[in-house]
Amino acid sequence: MSAVSSLERTRALLREFPVVDGHNDLPWALREQVRYDLAARDIAGPQDAHLHTDIPRLREGGVGAQFWSVYVRADLPDPVPATLEQIDCVRQLLDRYPADLAPALTAADMEAARAEGRIASLMGAEGGHSIADSLGTLRGLYALGVRYLTLTHNDNVAWADSATDEPRVGGLSAFGREVVAEMNRLGMLVDLSHVAATTMRDALDASAAPVIFSHSSARAVCDHPRNIPDDVLERLPANGGVAMVTFVPKFVLQAAVDWTAAADENMRAHGFHHLDTTAEAMKVHRAFEERNPRPVATAATVADHLDHMREAAGIDHLGIGGDYDGTAFTPDGLNDVSGYPNLIAELLDRGWSRADLAKLTWQNAVRVLGAAEDVARDLRATRAPSNATIEQLDG
Amino acid sequence: MADLQDDLHATPGVDGLDDLDELGELVEDPFAATPYTPDAAPLERARALLAAHPVADGYCGLPWALRRLPWYDLELGESDLDTDVPRLREGGVGAVFWSLHLPEGLAGDRAVGATLEQLDLVRTVVAAHPEGLRLAHTAGEVADVRYCGRVAVLLGPAGAGALGDSLGILRSLHALGLRVLTLSGASWASEAGLTRFGEEVIREMNRLGVIADLSGASEQTVRRALAASRAPVLCARSAARALRPHPANLPDDLLAGLGAAKGLCLVPMTAEQTGPSLRDVADHLDHVRALAGPECVGLSGTYDAGTAHPRELPDATGYPHLIAELLRRGWPESDVALLTWGNIQRVLRTADFTARAARQRRAPSTARIAELDG
Repeated sequence: MSAVSSLERTRALLREFPVVDGHNDLPWALREQVRYDLAARDIAGPQDAHLHTDIPRLREGGVGAQFWSVYVRADLPDPVPATLEQIDCVRQLLDRYPADLAPALTAADMEAARAEGRIASLMGAEGGHSIADSLGTLRGLYALGVRYLTLTHNDNVAWADSATDEPRVGGLSAFGREVVAEMNRLGMLVDLSHVAATTMRDALDASAAPVIFSHSSARAVCDHPRNIPDDVLERLPANGGVAMVTFVPKFVLQAAVDWTAAADENMRAHGFHHLDTTAEAMKVHRAFEERNPRPVATAATVADHLDHMREAAGIDHLGIGGDYDGTAFTPDGLNDVSGYPNLIAELLDRGWSRADLAKLTWQNAVRVLGAAEDVARDLRATRAPSNATIEQLDG
Repeated sequence: MADLQDDLHATPGVDGLDDLDELGELVEDPFAATPYTPDAAPLERARALLAAHPVADGYCGLPWALRRLPWYDLELGESDLDTDVPRLREGGVGAVFWSLHLPEGLAGDRAVGATLEQLDLVRTVVAAHPEGLRLAHTAGEVADVRYCGRVAVLLGPAGAGALGDSLGILRSLHALGLRVLTLSGASWASEAGLTRFGEEVIREMNRLGVIADLSGASEQTVRRALAASRAPVLCARSAARALRPHPANLPDDLLAGLGAAKGLCLVPMTAEQTGPSLRDVADHLDHVRALAGPECVGLSGTYDAGTAHPRELPDATGYPHLIAELLRRGWPESDVALLTWGNIQRVLRTADFTARAARQRRAPSTARIAELDG
């Protein structure tokens, strides 16, 4: 089977079952680069020079639904106002490109957008800091259209541990479980990317609805805390959730994990913070990169993760979450949002069937959102909105 | 049908003399008009008028008042509050603006999140009282809610601090239903008046259909807003300063200016601003009507906002008495209908028309306070 024919078959498949991507940071990129001046980054045309994402490349990549991340930094004095600005950015994009982007709040909206040939646009908030310990604010974000909340970002929140911070509450606190319960009641998906394995397990215990991992890969393939351990993947069939594989090289390729650790160590050895991007720091970093070429991930690297996740979780519990415009480096062949067909072609070559791939790209993610809506309908009939506070529950 | 059947039962039987008498009366004088006694029956006329043109109340502090109550039932009635559904109905109220103002201490850092919480609380409360209350955003929705026999709840005013100095946040709050924003208590709408960013806020409000509330704003802000806004503005809680010196009350020239701009002065039922009696409130209404015009005056209960009220107006049930007093003073019924209902509906409708036109002209503003105000 030649690569060309795989790619052709891929494109035919994606026309029918386009990609639902779980995480794209275009709003944050627009905030940082042009302060939301959408005319300065008109994504109707090519923006290769500045962004991973624009409409022509989304189309080329066979994307049919996108969860736009309304991420804001956790170290802002008050993350709520910035989150509202991010949401406004997505709404403006929807107003600006109505022929290509369709507002979507439900699984039915996603199907309707697919039928119209538009890209269903949903929102996900990345990090519990965006609700400022308030269930009223959580409901406000839901009312504005946010359909998932990642419980933490890189740092712990008071009620949940992050994968990349020191353990503090050991998973979810009582208030954290209340947040999950309220999300279930609303029909907002619980996103377990970025959280500690302990938090993943607590959330799976607490959630009445299927969960998602909006952009995480397999820890057994590449040992990085951002990835999902097998015992958690194995719980997805019972939960009904979906793990959306991410492409970020420093999470998916062991050589890149090691290289990043060495590069960070090198920065610290020279007296810089490892995320410092000042000119001097970058000079030190470039010198390191010249001595140690950056390991390159490929579509095959990501396919390795999917092969394993399929073993551990099953074909009904996989999805895709590229993290485009949220990461500096991308794998070869998956350089930007036009790259998804290369991953699908690789999987076709590995013997994945059309039916398997339809689940991976489209059906699983749509099913999970629909299931969360069903659970919410039931819960709303019996439970009033919770106004519990973190002080009441966590003392 | 039940009424018709009752009538049938009342038809005389062969052996019922009393019944025959009744019938005789009916036959004799089938169209007996109730004698028209203008002085005796203004209260009845007021109630009849309110049935057709209910009160659209421009300010109610209920959302914050509810936060301190562990439990309440607005449908059955709530003695801890000024406002509940039975009293709104008795008072002839058809629509209420629920304020999202925050107490002083919260107006700073956490104002945006606290406003989200207030909006959420209003949604929850309204959803919990489906027989009495329904959310409405536009003039058309307000009318719809009334035809369904419910009281329309509109969202606002919120304080300027709720914007966090960002037009993106203004748009998000509008998406959540916010209709009125008070232009005071922010760096861009201070004692010194509106800054350039403040003017951009007004333009974006016009584009969205968020109405400016100028009660409590500085005189400079009021003048600038009157000039800058393409949509009518309102003063959600302002009486006449000529009758009572209170900082939120409007001097005569501003009342005239408001009238010229077809804005709206909503007179509050607060002893502090209008005086301790119903007659005082009526005096203010007379004055505002004379200066701003009958199309530019309205009512604002200001209940549950922590202020004392005129004796005869302790809650919404006082409105019919107030209207009766105005009728006694010779207000034509058409002016009363504008006062209670028509003017606010007009302002809502005009704000929506203005917004539709402005959206053709202008893209969402990306202006930032740092750029405009330096």
